[in-house]
Amino acid sequence: MVIGHECAGIIEETGSEVKDLVPGDRVALEPGISCWRCDLCKEGRYNLCPDMKFFGLPPFHGSLARQIVHPAYLCFKLPDNVSLEEGALCEPLSVAVHACRRGNISPETNVLVMGAGPIGLVTLLAARAFGAPRIVNVDVDGNRLSVAKELGADGVVQVSTNMQDIPKEVETICNVMGAKVDVSFDCAGLSKTMSTALSVTRAGGKVCLVGLGHNEMTVPLTPAAAREVDVIGVFRYKNTWPLCIELLRSGKIDVKPLITHRFGFSQKEIEEAFETSAGGGNAIKVMFNL
Amino acid sequence: MGKGGKSHEETKSGEDENMAAWLVGLNTLKIQPFKLPPLGPHDARVRMKAVGICGSDVHYLKTMRCADFVVKEPMVIGHECAGIIEEVGSEVKNLVPGDRVALEPGISCWRCDLCKDGRYNLCPEMKFFATPPVHGSLAHQVVHPADLCFKLPDNVSLEEGAMCEPLSVGVHACRRANIGPETNVLVMGAGPIGLVTMMAVRAFGAPRIVIVDVDDNRLSVAKNLGADGIVKVSTDMQDVAEEVERICKAMGGGVDVSFDCAGFNKTMSTALSATRAGGKVCLVGMGHHEMTVPLTPAATREVDVIGIFRYRNTWPLCIEFLRSGKIDVKPLITHRFGFSQKEVEEAFETSAGGGSAIKVMFNL
Repeated sequence: MVIGHECAGIIEETGSEVKDLVPGDRVALEPGISCWRCDLCKEGRYNLCPDMKFFGLPPFHGSLARQIVHPAYLCFKLPDNVSLEEGALCEPLSVAVHACRRGNISPETNVLVMGAGPIGLVTLLAARAFGAPRIVNVDVDGNRLSVAKELGADGVVQVSTNMQDIPKEVETICNVMGAKVDVSFDCAGLSKTMSTALSVTRAGGKVCLVGLGHNEMTVPLTPAAAREVDVIGVFRYKNTWPLCIELLRSGKIDVKPLITHRFGFSQKEIEEAFETSAGGGNAIKVMFNL
Repeated sequence: MGKGGKSHEETKSGEDENMAAWLVGLNTLKIQPFKLPPLGPHDARVRMKAVGICGSDVHYLKTMRCADFVVKEPMVIGHECAGIIEEVGSEVKNLVPGDRVALEPGISCWRCDLCKDGRYNLCPEMKFFATPPVHGSLAHQVVHPADLCFKLPDNVSLEEGAMCEPLSVGVHACRRANIGPETNVLVMGAGPIGLVTMMAVRAFGAPRIVIVDVDDNRLSVAKNLGADGIVKVSTDMQDVAEEVERICKAMGGGVDVSFDCAGFNKTMSTALSATRAGGKVCLVGMGHHEMTVPLTPAATREVDVIGIFRYRNTWPLCIEFLRSGKIDVKPLITHRFGFSQKEVEEAFETSAGGGSAIKVMFNL
């Protein structure tokens, strides 16, 4: 199966019915092709379409290729001041934008982001763009937290993987936030991170589960439900490309610092690129330039 | 007044002393005097006529605690209640002595952000009947804010008035879950809360309701009360997949909203698996503190978990449902007792025993 799905490129040719794109246009691609016949699609929740054909999700081929063919309505024109690399980053950024919408992020929501990996970082950027007044990132890794601080987190808290540390971490998070946590994004998706998020979020708040960590999780769900802390699921995105592109065009979001490594398209470089990405550490977004 | 006439004593002035059912220790209830606070300008003094027993009342009796609330001193029990106005404070305009009222138990602070936002059920300073250290309402009389006393129409009995409290939990859950003519609903549990939830769901217009339980008798009751389908389930986690299949068959379509009125790993896991993508699972029941559930697969289908805690602004709607007959709670009252030491003890044992007991009601 061809791999890859976060992509942008240049239009080479369009079909006879395509009116809004011409060869030469620079475009970012939304990966998933929905069926547009089922109830979920017709309701607009097309990201949940059971017949979704998604780049790099077996058996559908991905887009790490010289060329691909894709529905034109899923190719979004990039303004002159938005690079093709930024175009490719619209995909991870879209996860964060969708999460911010589902979480109802606004100038009134203080936000906690569990995790300072690529998804935690785009979530930080999106939450800020949606107006969140205070954002705190947590992670086990001090280096990742420095990156979060550089990218604008109001506070960072280093946490452990030990469940026993939760009460203490909850206290530290509240102190660093300096206010109640209205919405938490769990971008790691582990029992520890969910438990922390459920405990620290204020009554009536929301916890958005963005990260896909463990299948089954052991969490204090009842005390959270008894404070009407809702758990909101986040799966990919819908209708996010126009907003992502606008946020990049206006400079409200700058994703360029997230691109830490670049590789060309050769056998050797592909192998090295994937090893770099899998290695974590100081690699945030590894980008191919074709 | 009360069976046997020994439930109150006359004081020197000739006035009846107010008596209440006190939780004085583990598994120990005693009818003792209960001194009323002075009547404030916005208060009403209510003569209690009907008080129901809730699972939380039983839990306090058996364990002296409920979640983080601990009974440290003797406390009057009971909170599901209705009665007759005896006296009102100087500023009370909407009630007069003789009015029949149902009482909303919780007094919020009305100063904090949550109260001002309307989510007063989440007020951290909430003073709630029979949640320690606040005294309950299983008494001859209580003093309560008049704005929390709701007049009952002539065709709604005082017992039905007392039922507004558990019914309110169902109504609040229906609102948070957005129940309407387009939502097919699954109810986990056919106990008192599962049943009032089912009734509220029907009143909100849900086209299909399937209810599940481990107990056949409870399921028959649910069927008689209008469930479209009933499914008997087990307590075995291995059975989740098979039960989800049977539930979907019984529903004849997708499950849009599930109410977990039991609150266990098994019931939550089943609900999360059975609910369609984009649907909601409401956790109503308070089973275990920590739960092990397949949260991630649910989140990747954007099945949201909605928390439910008590209720807010539900009495007027409950009363209207009862007045119009859209909801009939009378079949839920299975046992009745008077207000005497012996009967109080017997009533709580009956409620704690479960079985055929749904709602045990005191008539004072």
